[in-house]
Amino acid sequence: MTQTVSNRPAGLFWRKDNPEKRKKRSEALTAYIFLLPYLFIFFTFTIFSIGYAFYLSFTRYNLLRPPEWWGLEGYRRVLCLEALMPRGEDAPPLACDDLFIKKALPNTVKYTLIVVPTQTVLSLILAFAMDQKLRFRRLFRTIYYLPSVTSSVVISLIFVWLFSPLGIVNQIFNLNINWLNDPRYAFYTIMILNVFTTSGTLMLIFLAGLQDIPTAIYEAASIDGANKFQTLRFITIPMLRPVVFFVVTVGLIGCFQVFDQIYVMTSGGPLDSTTTVAYLIYKWAFRDTTVKMGQAAALSFILALIILVFTLIQRRIIEGSGSVGSA
Amino acid sequence: MKTLLKWFVPLMVLSLLLAACQPAATPTPEKVIETVTVEKEKEVVKTVEVEKPAERAVVRLSGWAASPEETALLQSILLDFTVENPDIVVKYEPITGDYWQQLKTSIASGVEPDVFYMDIFQFPAFVRDEVLLPIDDLMAKEGVKRDDFIPSLIDAFSEGGVTYGIPKDFNTLGLFYNKDLFAKAGIAEPTDDWTWDDLKAAAEALSDPANNIYGLGVPADPGRFPIFVFQNGGSIMTEDYSDTLLDSPAAVEAATFYTDFRKNQIGAIPADVGEGWQGTVFGKGQFAMVYEGGWLIPYLKQQFPNTNYGVVTPPAGPKGEGNLIFTVAYVISRNSKNPEAAMRVINYLTSEKAQNKVLESGFALPTRLSLQNSEFLKTNPASSAIFRGALQGARPFVWGLVGSDVNEQMGKALERIYLENQAVDASLKQAAQVIRQKIAEVK
Amino acid sequence: MATITQTISKKESFSDKLIALLDRLKTPIFYVILISWAILCLAPLYFTLIFSLKPVANVYDPPLFWPIPFSLENFRDVIGALPLFPRWLLNSTIISIVVTVARVLFCAMAGYAFARMEFPLKKFLFTALLISMMIPGQVTLIPNFLVVGPGIIRGGLKIGDVTIPTGFGLMDNLGGVILPGIVAAFGIFMMTQFYKSIPKELEEAAMIDGLGRFGIFFRIVLPISTTQLLTLALLTFQGEWNNFMWPLTILRTPENFTLPIGLNWFRGEYYTLISKVLAGSLFNTLPILIIFFIFQRYFTQSIAGTGLKEG
Repeated sequence: MTQTVSNRPAGLFWRKDNPEKRKKRSEALTAYIFLLPYLFIFFTFTIFSIGYAFYLSFTRYNLLRPPEWWGLEGYRRVLCLEALMPRGEDAPPLACDDLFIKKALPNTVKYTLIVVPTQTVLSLILAFAMDQKLRFRRLFRTIYYLPSVTSSVVISLIFVWLFSPLGIVNQIFNLNINWLNDPRYAFYTIMILNVFTTSGTLMLIFLAGLQDIPTAIYEAASIDGANKFQTLRFITIPMLRPVVFFVVTVGLIGCFQVFDQIYVMTSGGPLDSTTTVAYLIYKWAFRDTTVKMGQAAALSFILALIILVFTLIQRRIIEGSGSVGSA
Repeated sequence: MKTLLKWFVPLMVLSLLLAACQPAATPTPEKVIETVTVEKEKEVVKTVEVEKPAERAVVRLSGWAASPEETALLQSILLDFTVENPDIVVKYEPITGDYWQQLKTSIASGVEPDVFYMDIFQFPAFVRDEVLLPIDDLMAKEGVKRDDFIPSLIDAFSEGGVTYGIPKDFNTLGLFYNKDLFAKAGIAEPTDDWTWDDLKAAAEALSDPANNIYGLGVPADPGRFPIFVFQNGGSIMTEDYSDTLLDSPAAVEAATFYTDFRKNQIGAIPADVGEGWQGTVFGKGQFAMVYEGGWLIPYLKQQFPNTNYGVVTPPAGPKGEGNLIFTVAYVISRNSKNPEAAMRVINYLTSEKAQNKVLESGFALPTRLSLQNSEFLKTNPASSAIFRGALQGARPFVWGLVGSDVNEQMGKALERIYLENQAVDASLKQAAQVIRQKIAEVK
Repeated sequence: MATITQTISKKESFSDKLIALLDRLKTPIFYVILISWAILCLAPLYFTLIFSLKPVANVYDPPLFWPIPFSLENFRDVIGALPLFPRWLLNSTIISIVVTVARVLFCAMAGYAFARMEFPLKKFLFTALLISMMIPGQVTLIPNFLVVGPGIIRGGLKIGDVTIPTGFGLMDNLGGVILPGIVAAFGIFMMTQFYKSIPKELEEAAMIDGLGRFGIFFRIVLPISTTQLLTLALLTFQGEWNNFMWPLTILRTPENFTLPIGLNWFRGEYYTLISKVLAGSLFNTLPILIIFFIFQRYFTQSIAGTGLKEG
């Protein structure tokens, strides 16, 4: 009995805490081993690249010659808050780029607020449908997954063709809208496209989450006399909450960073109606002849901050009892 | 079990790293057997055995990926080069995605290729930031003369009397016209001597909006609109690119002429007929005339082989001819470790023999003056018209350091005129203001 | 009295009939909606097939819904014009499989740690995980490239006579594509949320039986979560298979290209022949579809879901 605790004073205090502390320490060590691959990537890639980008956000950098320190000038030019103040007809031109504050930011926020709820609800409905006992369920699931499988380029090409003024969509609904070339509608077309393409992936994730819920609970509920809607409302959805939080968070992040379709289909036009923050970052980082990598980096961090704020807000909304999103 | 797992992860990572590491290339004499497929119909297999010396200079050549056929042609030319120059090995690294992003990333990381493509539009920034190697000395060593090349092209890639690149090919705008539509309307086909009045009259006669047929394509494209400004005696930028002339009266008049086509329904933008590019609309027969570059020729051949068309140089405006030159050059990186070898590669690729090969496959136009009177141009009037465009009032498609901003503002100005009915002079004035601010930013 | 009973029974029978009608219609309406959405989902693939099976010159000719004239020339052209096609297929397969296996395992481990274990800095690391997803990739491209390839400090860190490389030196190398992908914040986040939903009773029972954390993870938790692991595997495989930006930055020699990069050779500088691009894209899409269809079978109720039989 005294072999393990050799020369320590044999007080009650020590004997009580040692096994506790040891258990905690071993659990922490185990956890770190489990996290080893992540920590490796974290320290070699993530920290350096974010740190480097952070440094760049305070520099003037066009990739062709070394960065030069600029302080907060990059942030000032990106935010361009003076564009928001009332200006007369003959006011001198702005000393900053108002593309972010006037177009990219409102566009991106509008996009996120519309697309995130839509795609979450849609994919949830699809997942429920695919969870039922249906005939040809496997076939349906594969078909429903299709939109998420095809590459951005292909879907964009097809969508451009489908939504052209003389295309099928206009013919079916008897409309005459120039979807992608009308500043009023182009953005909505991109939204439709994105909800469509993410539906498959999110449906899959919700499906996996639904499988996790023990059938025993469903059985107990039906014994208690709950009908389908009550089961849905009081059992399924609350049990899905962690997954819902995941889908909404990932949806938020994805929507705020929407880029691919804009790059392939509209290049931010017409008349900047489809310019998003991520596209602006790309444009400043690589596209312009006067590359503004420093500004792009500044904008990236501003974007990350905005996403963080929105994520915290939605976590408050979704979080009920029990920790959903925190570790 | 625990101990095993403790070592598992680091082992896996280590094995991944080891698997990925490639041993350094050991220079040993070796035989080279290369097979290249040049044409679709004829598979040409060249088996060459050459004894290579132990030390070979490596030249990395990069550029955007041309179509597989053009790439095959390029690789056959490179093969000939390797046979004639066994002490140089050329590593071809095509970029099939966003070229400028990849190139600038490579430069920023210090791993850019030795030789790469430089578009005239991007040239000013690269020259100013001293990324390119001045090549006058190397040219002299190789016996490459500036005078061999079309002046406007080689001058475009020079700065302050110093040459930085050898132009590899170029394009200009031609007036493509649909012969069938002209015959149907009963009007004479365009010639090189046409003027703005002829253009307008023809567009009026050819348009039939009820049937979705328009006389002239007038997209909000900064790669088309400027020639009208040139033809009206104006400019987009001043000589030294320190200011813009987009709001000058000459430019405003040109813009009014250009946008009036659509206003009067004798012209349209591709979006009006549901397309993204006027080349497709021309092929479909819905635009009777379009201003496009030589790239439209292979496109029509493959996508719309039944279109009966002709090409002439753009009609002259009140103050004369005007055209845009799009051109790409081979340049050498200032950090290249083998600049002489690089120059030899460039010289070979732009030699008369190589350029003639490219010309005859119809892929691009040569930059050597000696090829102006080649057989190919004589028997291909469309390509010939594009070639002639370089000799008549043509200016390179470059607007200085703020080039992309100028393009953007021009495009947006035209869009505003088209989509929001803004007045021409107000729109151009707004564009000019933004451009001036951008110029101030880069000082 | 009689009248009241009569009125009541009349009302009941009407609403009864309505409910009965709705109940009968429910299934067919359900199927109609399902099939409509299925048609929508099939449309892009369908049109891709139509465009690919017509010769290039006929792409814009009617009929638009049926491939007449029928031709396989686009597929022949894609394979014929690109002699490295099989090599690209191999490269893509290697990268996708290695990354998928590694990522599923490592993300499951990390997810389990976050979901079930307590350790110092847990909150910090998880928050850092979430935040790392919020920084858009355009600005982290260059630093990541530096780490994987040439090194953070140009020419290496020179201490005395020794030069220490500050990068992995994996430029133009499949390993360079694989390395940053072995874990993904997205994957860890997803597994964490999944593992939070698993009832704790199973693990607690195992712990009482004396099984350590490793044992619990590998013998109980992993087998239970096959559906979730499979989901992550599918998403990862697909993501890596279609990944364009990162391989484009790392890989230089055409022999090392992956399939999407190689197929992009058909996107011309000035114009795009959509028949060829779409035909090429089918080679990229079909493998994923086939894999997805095959692995659907394993998307069943997990053991946790089938209830806890107290043993």
